[in-house]
Formats: sequence, structure tokens, C-alpha cells
Amino acid sequence: MSPADRRVSPTRYGVPLLVAVVGLAAGWGLSVGLPDYYVFLGTSVIVAAISLLGLGVVTGSAGMMALCQLSFAVIGAWVTSELNLVKAPGNGILWMVAGAIAAGIVGLLVGLPALRLRGVNLAVVTLGFAAAVGLAVNQYQFPGTAIGVQVFRPQPFFTDRSFFLLSVIVMVIAAVIVYALQVSRVGSGWRAVAFSERGTASAGASVRTTKLSAFAVSAALGGLSGGLVTLQVGFASASTFAPLQSLALYVLAIVNGSYLVDMAVFGGILWVAVPEILKRLGIPQDWSLVVFGVLGVQALTSRTNLGEIVRAAARRRSEVVVLEPAALDDEVPDPTPDAPVLIVQGLGVRFGNVAALDGVDLTLRAGEIIGLIGPNGAGKSTMIDALSGFLPGHTGTITLDGRDLARVSPARRARLGLRRTFQQDRVPPSLTVEAYVRFVARRRVPRPELIDLLSFLGCPAPGTRLAAVDVGTRRLVEVAAQLASRPRVLLLDEPAAGLSHEEHLALGERLARIPIRYGASVILIEHDLDLVRGVCRRILVLDFGKVLADGDRDAVLSDKAVLAAYMGETELL
Amino acid sequence: MSTLELTGVSVSRGAGPVIRGVDLTVSSGEVVTVVGPNGAGKTSLMEAISGVIAPSAGTITIDGVSIVKASRSARARRGLAHVEQGRTVFPSLTVLENIRLSAASPVGAQEALALFPELEKRMSSPAGLLSGGEQQMVALARAFASRPRFLLIDEMSLGLAPVVFTRLLPIVGSFARAGVGVLLVEQFTNLALGVASRALIVSGGAVTYSGDARVLLDEPARLHAAYLGGA
Amino acid sequence: MIQGALAGLASGGLYATIAVCLTVMSRLARVVNFAQVAVGMFGAFSSVWLAGPGVPMWLATVIGILVGATLSGIVGLVIATWLAEADVAVRSGVTVAALLVLIALSFILFGTKPLPFTPIFRGAAFTVGTVVISQITVVLVIVAVAVAVAARLVLTRTLLGLRLRALSERPITAELLGIRSRPLSVGVWIVSGIVTTFVVEIVAPSQSNDAVALSMTVVPAAAAALLGAFRRLDLAVVGGLVLGMLDGALAQLQGLALLRYFLPFLVIVGLLLWLQRGEVWDVAR
Repeated sequence: MSPADRRVSPTRYGVPLLVAVVGLAAGWGLSVGLPDYYVFLGTSVIVAAISLLGLGVVTGSAGMMALCQLSFAVIGAWVTSELNLVKAPGNGILWMVAGAIAAGIVGLLVGLPALRLRGVNLAVVTLGFAAAVGLAVNQYQFPGTAIGVQVFRPQPFFTDRSFFLLSVIVMVIAAVIVYALQVSRVGSGWRAVAFSERGTASAGASVRTTKLSAFAVSAALGGLSGGLVTLQVGFASASTFAPLQSLALYVLAIVNGSYLVDMAVFGGILWVAVPEILKRLGIPQDWSLVVFGVLGVQALTSRTNLGEIVRAAARRRSEVVVLEPAALDDEVPDPTPDAPVLIVQGLGVRFGNVAALDGVDLTLRAGEIIGLIGPNGAGKSTMIDALSGFLPGHTGTITLDGRDLARVSPARRARLGLRRTFQQDRVPPSLTVEAYVRFVARRRVPRPELIDLLSFLGCPAPGTRLAAVDVGTRRLVEVAAQLASRPRVLLLDEPAAGLSHEEHLALGERLARIPIRYGASVILIEHDLDLVRGVCRRILVLDFGKVLADGDRDAVLSDKAVLAAYMGETELL
Repeated sequence: MSTLELTGVSVSRGAGPVIRGVDLTVSSGEVVTVVGPNGAGKTSLMEAISGVIAPSAGTITIDGVSIVKASRSARARRGLAHVEQGRTVFPSLTVLENIRLSAASPVGAQEALALFPELEKRMSSPAGLLSGGEQQMVALARAFASRPRFLLIDEMSLGLAPVVFTRLLPIVGSFARAGVGVLLVEQFTNLALGVASRALIVSGGAVTYSGDARVLLDEPARLHAAYLGGA
Repeated sequence: MIQGALAGLASGGLYATIAVCLTVMSRLARVVNFAQVAVGMFGAFSSVWLAGPGVPMWLATVIGILVGATLSGIVGLVIATWLAEADVAVRSGVTVAALLVLIALSFILFGTKPLPFTPIFRGAAFTVGTVVISQITVVLVIVAVAVAVAARLVLTRTLLGLRLRALSERPITAELLGIRSRPLSVGVWIVSGIVTTFVVEIVAPSQSNDAVALSMTVVPAAAAALLGAFRRLDLAVVGGLVLGMLDGALAQLQGLALLRYFLPFLVIVGLLLWLQRGEVWDVAR
């Protein structure tokens, strides 16, 4: 093993912890050095930053529109005030955490029906929730406010300065937790679900659980900020949490891209600084909302945000480093197909009046690679969709290792070892190669194995951002990632599209070795018949949803009926 | 007599150019066919002409006047009709409504429908309920009803049974006889060559043949070479 | 309680009309227009502000409607120009920002205290038994139904409606057929601004007319539009009227205030779950 292989990824926890320590030190410094007025403002910045961090998780990372962040703050504030009123055991810090947990639970409850709701529908739901909570909070006072019971800060943090330090500590802890989640499979799941639900399911991750976790984390952070502001001010007031403020916060989160921790802090600064500056200039503070709104429109129309702009400017224009594919010295032995792994009987799929698939039978044996060919629109991708569970309304049976897959969800099928790639690009560009592969693999992949797999297929180095990689290579990364999960069956939908002719053939040589090296049986859809000829011993031809031919490669490719069906499909000439 | 002319047109998608340096002319009354392997950039070329995407280089003119800066609807109003790949009918609109949308007049609609008598009994059906072949007929009728000067047809055979496609193909010839300049992209190479007067072969992102269509039918080796040549 | 329900019918008329606008916007402009009522609110407030220094009532109303129409048109222009091919969520995001800006601007220009509206319609229309039905109620219900009927007629019977439907179904194909997408889209936004401002002008005197509360009536209106799945105008009208009546009835019962506040939210959640019960995958992604 070369030194390069042994190198542990240095940025995983080292740098962030360093940043955390620096942040704490800076916070302490500020708490001592800032004038009184600014210390109080500074606490408000932190409160807003925590809220924005939460919004960043649900909106920026997971791509959902949530307009009720401050309603979760209300929950946090409510619990904190209530626990204070009944003089529950513990102190403000404990109650604040309890408030965060309670808000997280409410977030789960609001999120549960919201799971099936995408994009705009979720925005409608959350706005409805925000409006309802806003009205309720106006009607029913926070516990203790009517009789003037104040929520006192816990002892060591009683003064404004020490409370500022407390809020910095809370922020740093929250940020470290969020960062840890972001770099873990959970965070990769959030980014995957924001980009493509099907892609997420094909990686064996439950779309529901992924969305719920994003919702719950964001709600908990909202609740935390609500408890913190209650301690800061001494009581909670409805106007702090008005629905209008939730909208403003959402717009601000879009503007600065607050899924990045530093941008959440920056957003907090903007949240406080803009009204403050307007106040100094004698301009009505409502103009800050106008500023945020206009910036929001600008961010939406330009499809980018401050965080991305800053990151892009700071990033060195580095070339994508592709790992050199190792020379293939092993001979590919003739396949001796073993017991059946995947059995398909009478598969049929209808879209309205059209029968996309009709009575398709197929048996895939262990160690086999079957080529699936046919003219455009013959039903090849439809078949892969049906096999992988994305078309639950099909007729016929599919059996994997003897297990009937009826009513088994795509994520579950993926976990059972039936993996697929997509024709359209479904690889989330916001991840790195390594993060994506580990997410899809769902098992611990030792670094040497990772490097070996990536170089086998000619993929870029693990730390490469997928956004910098072209579509054809992303497709190779997708294949590598699915292989990393050591599947029983791998369904490849035109993996070579976007590659040059030489690259097609090179890929073909790799694909031919998959059963030997990785123990997977493969069904391969391809248009390039040179590739198919080189890789597959067995070919299945689909035409208008029916099986036209199924058998040995040479026999099928010289079948007159097959040639006639293609009628000018160029590679057959 | 009108001419649609492309000079040095390149089209890029994301990673890089899909098709480069295309020179092409279509005049009124002729059928020019563009054939080539999948993914070769033929659809991107059509989309650059009609304005769905912008070309990265080159000029596109109708009768010498550049159309590259014109919007899609402006190009359509200048007589450019594009039948996109796939089913492009408006599913919830009836057959008649689909065609009325583009017809300059009721007479235009009638003339278009006259070419497809099978649609007669489906006039008030929502177009989404028609079969694939019928939908393609509606799309073609709709394009013709606008009395275009140029008609771009992108793989109308997609997902159609061969017998349906062979029924539709001669209609392309009638469009040309009515004075329309037709640019036809097809995967069914031999059939397309049969109805066209000139042909372009696009392979590996470049034009590998541009000239008479009959020649390719008579010399299949030349056709074969041009297909694989661009890789 | 019946009196409460019938009093709520006035709000119901508002919800119903806005729900019709939301449905039309959703179908034609591919957007959930969160700022729908806010533009009307701004236009109505402009009218009141103009009527102050002595501008005649009718002129102030007309100018207010123009203001609302223009604001709506501006939002539509921004979306049609830069986000023509973006998905619904991004386009609707712009309306969220617009909602924020409009409320903030109204605070700045018109202050935060409720404005003195001169009611256009006042008093009772007629009495049924012991129950009094106000003029506003009658007018609003009629307007809601009229707008729905007019929208349906335009969409199904006119060439303009045909073009609009085509544009909303397959925007690129429609453009390739020569349909001018930007002017038509902005036109839809302007018309919806006119209708909304008109209705808000009528209803404002009888509602709590602070900027936020008015603008937030987009929430129960959205719940009503969801009854029709953002596609059916008749169900949007029915949903709006029913929600208004339920809200009015619940307002009478002191103990159920919480239910009353959460009613639109619960209706939204329930309807969305029901509508999407069969859907498994987001087709586009």
C-alpha cells in the first residue's frame, strides 16, 4: 500500500474542531472586549444564527421550503417559560435544551404529513402552521408573562457579557453537531434528497426518513433559538416570533446559503446589522425587510447565493484529477453461470393505453452479464424501473434470490442487493466523490478498497467535488458507488453515454470483470453494440415491450428478425 | 423561394460541444434529412435552429436575415415550425384545439386535417388519450397548419410501430410538394434517405457527409463509413 | 352560531375569490402566488390614502386597482423574464419575497395602525328569519361565483384561453407555435391583481385591516384552492365559502379559538395528504 493510500482525510474532523476552538476563543474575546450595547446585539446575532443554521439544514441542504422556523422557536420559548414558571428542576440551560427537544418532536409531527409533499406544497403547509401559531400566540400569552414572572439566566452566565459567552458556546456546540451530521451519511442523504428522490431511493436510503431527519434537526435548532432569546430578554413576546419574521428569515436563508455554518453566522449579523444601520441613519426599520426581500428575489433569479459565491471565489481553479486505471492483467474466464439470482415472469407495465412492457420473462444467473438492447422506446428503461421498484403498478412477478419483491419499495430493494444506475444524471453535484460513494455503499468501505474501485473504473480522486466533474464521468462514479455496496444484481442503464468510442470500449473491459471481481450479476442496457458484443455472452432484445430474442450473443445478433426490428439502427450495419 | 441557412453552427450542452461546425441549407420544397448515431447532437441542432437552446457559435439565417437573436415565438411567426422529439401534443386540449392553436385561419386547419383522415373521428378527444401514432399525426398536422416556410421534424418515428411510421413518411413528401422546406432527423436511416433529396450524416459531433441522398442508398459502404467515421 | 356562520360568509366570499385567483395562477402561471392578497392589500391601502386628501372615492378606488394590478404585473414580469423555465418552487419563492416586501412597504408608507376605510357597501341586504345578511356578503359571494364563471368561460371558449392553457401545459412547445409567452403571462398576473384589489377594497372595511392579517388570508384561500387541487374552480369557490362559514361559526364559540386558528392548517394538511395519496415519486426528479 503506497503512502497515498494510507493518508487519512485530514479535513474530516481536524479543521472543524480547530475552527470551533477558535470560535470559542473569539467569542470569549468579544465578550470581554465589546462595549455593552454591542454585547447585547451580539447575543441577538447568535440567536438568529442558530435559527438560520436550522433553516439552512431543511432549506439549503435538504431543499425543502419551510416558512415556519420561528413557530418552532415559539415551542422552545414556551417550554422554557413553562418550566421556569413551574420551577422545574434544573436551570435555564436545561430548559432551553428541553425546549429544543420539544420543538424537534413537533417538527417531526408537522413533518410527517409533509413528507409526501414537495417543494411548494410544503411551503403552503408550513405557512399555514406559521399563521396558526402566530394567531395562537397572540391570543394565549406565554406562561408567566401575564403575572410578570421573569425567566432568569443561570448563575455563572447572569451578566450580559457572560450570557453572550454562553450563547457562543451553545452556537459552537450546535454548529459542530450540524457539521458532523453534514459530513456523515445523514448529510449526504439530505443533499441527495434535495437533488433527486429517485437517486436517494436507489442508494437504499429511505426518502421519508431523510426528509424527517432534516425537518426535526431544523425544528430543534429553531426551538433552541427560541429558548435562548427567552433567557436573553427574560420573557418571551409574541412579536419576536411573528409569521412575518419567519418569512424574512426564510428569505435571508436563501440569500446567504445558510447551510454553510459560516454563512449562518453572517446571516445572523445581517439580521441584526441591517436594522441597526437603518436606525442609525434615521430610516424606518421596516426597510430592512424590503432589503431582505429584494436580495431574496435577486438570489432566486440568479440561482446562487452569497455562500456559493464566496466559496467559488476562494476555491482554487484546480483540475479534476482522474485516478489512473490500473492495467488489467487478469484474463476474463468464460462465465459459468450459476444458480438463478433474479427471476422475472410475465412482467407487464401499462401507461394509460400503452403497453410499455408485455409478458417479459427473464432469468439472470449468478456471474452472468446480460445485454439488454432494442430500439428507442422499446421499454428497456421501463424494465429497469420496474425491476428496481419504481413502477409498483406492474403485473408479473420479480424474485430476487428466491424472495418475491412484490410491494417491496425501491430503497428496500437496494438494501437487499438489487442496485441500479440511471440514464439521467441523478448524482448530486453538491457532494464529493467520496461522500457520494460512501452514502450509496451503505457499508464501511476501507480506503484502499475505495481507491481501488475508483481507479478500476477511471473515476476522479475521492476528494473531488462532483459539480466539477462532467456528466459522463459522473455516470462512472454512479456505477462505482453502486458497486461499492457489493450488490447481488446490478442494473446499468446506458453507463457509457457521454463517453468517447475508445472510452466505451475501455469501460466495456471493466464491466466484463465485474462478476469476477465484485460478485455481482449484471443487466446492461447499451446502444453501442461493439461494447455489448465484447461484454455480454447473453443478449435480450426488446421491441415494443415484448421480448424479441433471448439467448447467446452470436445467435441473437445474426437473427434476421432482430436486424429487421432495428431497420437502420446504425451500429448493426 | 426561401432558404434556411446554417453556417459553422456549434451547440454546447454543459460539459462541451455536442456538435461542431455544421453547414446546412434547406430550401423551399425540398426534404433534407439528418441521420446519425444516437447522442450525436442531431436534436441539439434542431433545438438551436428553433431557439429552444442557443448555439455557441455560427450563424442561422432565413433568407439572409439572422434569426439567432429572435425569440422562439418570433421565429415561429417568421415561418419556422418545429415538431419536437416525443409526444408534443397538449394533452388536455382536444385534437381540434391543438390544431386551431397554430392555424392562421380555419382554412389552414382544414387543409392540415385533410392530410390525416384518421383524425376525423377523434376531433373532440383530448389529445392525451390518443395512441402514439395518432398523437404524432396531430403534432404534424398542427405544424403544417401554421403554413410554415420551414418544418423541422425530430425523430417522429420514436416509439411508433413501423407500419405507422411508413404510413406517415410519405406525408413529409407532401409537405415538401406544398412548398415547405423540410429538415428531417430520423433514426430509421434507409427510409429517411428514401424520401429526402439531400442528406447530412452527423457522427461523433461533426458532419461526416453532406450531399445527395440517393448516393448513400446506392453505396451502403459509404454510408457505413460516414456513420462510424466521426468517432 | 348560524348567525356566526353567515357572518363568516363575507370572509368566505373573499377566500373563494382569492382561491379562484390562486387556482388560475397555479394553472396558467405555474406558481403558488403567496403574494396574491398582499398586492390587493397594497392597492386598497393606496385608495384609502388617496381618499384622505379629498380625492373622490370612485377615483381613489380605480387608482388603487391600478396600483394593485401594476404590482402584480411587476412580480409576474420578474418571474417571466428570469425564471421562465424554473420549477414551481423557485417561482413561488419569488412571491414569498414579494409578500415580505409588500407588507414592509405598506408599514412604511401607510403606517401600522388600521386605516379608516369607507365601506363601498354597507348595511344589511336582507333578513332571513332572525338572521341578518349584509350587503358585503351578498356582493362578495356574487363576485366569487362571477369570477369563477368568467375564468372558466375565457379558458374554454376563447382563443386567448386556449393559448393560455397551451402555454401552461407545455410552455416551450407553445412558444414554438408562435404563442408570445411573456406578454400573456404578465397579462394573467395583471388581471389577477385587478380582481384581487377589487375584492379587497370591498371586504376591507369589514375585516381586521392591518396589512399582515389581510395578506395572511392567502392561507385559508390556499386551503380552499387545495380542495380543487389547484385545478378546479368550482371546488375552490365551494371550499372558500365553506371555510369562511366554519371560521365564522367557530368564532362564536369561545373555547374553540385554538381550533379556529388551526383550521386552515389542518384542512391544508388533510387535503394534501388525500390528493397525494397515490403519488409515489416526484416524476421530474
